Amino acid sequence: MPAKVKENIFSTLIIEMRNDLELDAIIEDYLLGKLNAQETEAFESLRRNDATVDHKVVSHKVFLHTMEEYAKQALLKDQLDSIHSEIDVDTLVSKLAPHPSRVVQLWRKHKSAIAVAASFIVLSFVSIYSIQHNSQQADKFVQLSKNVTNAVKTQNNLIRKISSDNLPANKQLNPGNFGGTGFAVSTNGYIATNLHVIKDADSVYIQNSAGESFKVKVVHRDPEYDIAILKIDDNHFKNLSALPYTIKKNSTGVGENVYTWGYPKDDAVLGEGYVSSKSGFIGDTTQYQVAIPLNPGNSGGPLLDNNGNLVGIISGKETSAEGASFAIKSKYILEAMRAIPQDSLGKKLTVNKRSVLSGMKRAKQIEKLQDYVFMIKVYN
Amino acid sequence: MNNGLKSSVPTDREVILGILNNSADALNKLYKAHFAMVLQFILNNSGDEDDAKDVYQEAIIILYNKVKQGDFELSSKLKTYIYSVCRRIWLKKLTQKSKKTGSITDYEDVFEVEEDVEHHEEKDLQFVKMKSALDHLGEPCKTIIQDFYIHNLSMQDICEKFGYTNTDNAKTQKYKCLQRLKKIFFQH
Repeated sequence: MPAKVKENIFSTLIIEMRNDLELDAIIEDYLLGKLNAQETEAFESLRRNDATVDHKVVSHKVFLHTMEEYAKQALLKDQLDSIHSEIDVDTLVSKLAPHPSRVVQLWRKHKSAIAVAASFIVLSFVSIYSIQHNSQQADKFVQLSKNVTNAVKTQNNLIRKISSDNLPANKQLNPGNFGGTGFAVSTNGYIATNLHVIKDADSVYIQNSAGESFKVKVVHRDPEYDIAILKIDDNHFKNLSALPYTIKKNSTGVGENVYTWGYPKDDAVLGEGYVSSKSGFIGDTTQYQVAIPLNPGNSGGPLLDNNGNLVGIISGKETSAEGASFAIKSKYILEAMRAIPQDSLGKKLTVNKRSVLSGMKRAKQIEKLQDYVFMIKVYN
Repeated sequence: MNNGLKSSVPTDREVILGILNNSADALNKLYKAHFAMVLQFILNNSGDEDDAKDVYQEAIIILYNKVKQGDFELSSKLKTYIYSVCRRIWLKKLTQKSKKTGSITDYEDVFEVEEDVEHHEEKDLQFVKMKSALDHLGEPCKTIIQDFYIHNLSMQDICEKFGYTNTDNAKTQKYKCLQRLKKIFFQH
């Protein structure tokens, strides 16, 4: 606006003050500091003398301020919109939208909590593992190792070292080095025991409750589950009558009463207890933990429940904990039996389907059972 | 675009310095760094991607203004701040829509941002008023006002753009528009 015009407006304004439009222009110039000193002074005196003008100035100031803020925000919003358009929202939506599966939802929601929990679990495993006695691990190692020295009587594996000194004088001298227990899995002379019992054997004999010995040969070794299947290879052997127990396919619940019949000494011994955990040594799920007092020589013995179901093979015990013994689950016996090549010799292996022990008193059960449980004698 | 969203997460310091220096790049990185987080929150709490965009932009604006005013203390992570603001805004919106807010599915830590959100809402009320006044203004006034006050075009530019014979005419037109706008703005 040329200065001359402005002056004219001023002179007329003071007299008329009616031209709102021009007044607005002057107010804006005034607020934006575009008036010169003289004009400013003139306008300020006008403002002081006229409340209407003053009010207009104030309201215009508020308005301009709001407009300025609004402009800033609008520009910022434009900027954000343009950034937003660079994001592939659809892909994100499909990735982040509520998943139909509750599991995934829970996982997303508690991701961090789960991560924390998981690391705690790992941490506690590590610490538990590291506080376990080295001896345990060594024992486990012994069980798997081929280098078992004959002189060492291993506690964990419950192999009995037969010392000739404590043999009764009236019995035939038993030159067996190690002993364990085994039991018949069929009537025609198949015997199951632990692999670690017979592992280093040059020859293996079994002895029944009547004291008769038979030569056996090892027909199957399962190092994974520590199971061995032997077959009686002796002309004196006559087939057994029907097995009194069945081999259980499914696993047995914790708390089930179980017992074993084995040869920790030269006469058979009954051990009773219960299944105390569904997993064995260091969480081995192929085993049960059982609370049965066991001694060297029990290895390979049958573990039966009250109904005459064979639920496992006694395999070892933890040296550092009281009452923690382990038994391999019976389904691995069945697996081992199936794994034996059914050769042409005709001694077919069949699984017994019926248990006659069910409902009997324990003494009666043992009476029936004893002919099917053998002492294993290992020579090497 | 989506790729590298995570990898380019700027540090909080970078963002704050960037905003203070009007860096478009910093704003860009900030925006892209945390949108997914807010989108996930809104989608899983009965909203859609448009709600997420609105809420997220509001939160970014709140943060932006707070940083610009210089009273943003980096007492928490920016991410947590943005999440908390978005959460607050969305809860309010849900309440307004009288939807249940009983069980909100959270994904991040939350802290108190009530004051910031309320302060923003007061200011936003003025902006809403201004926007509706502009919308009521009609053309060509709206564009003239926007060009002059928002896009900072000179009267000369406006004169040419709208084909006025001289700038005085354009000015007169502008003041007429302004007068009407003020009238609408102050009436509401």
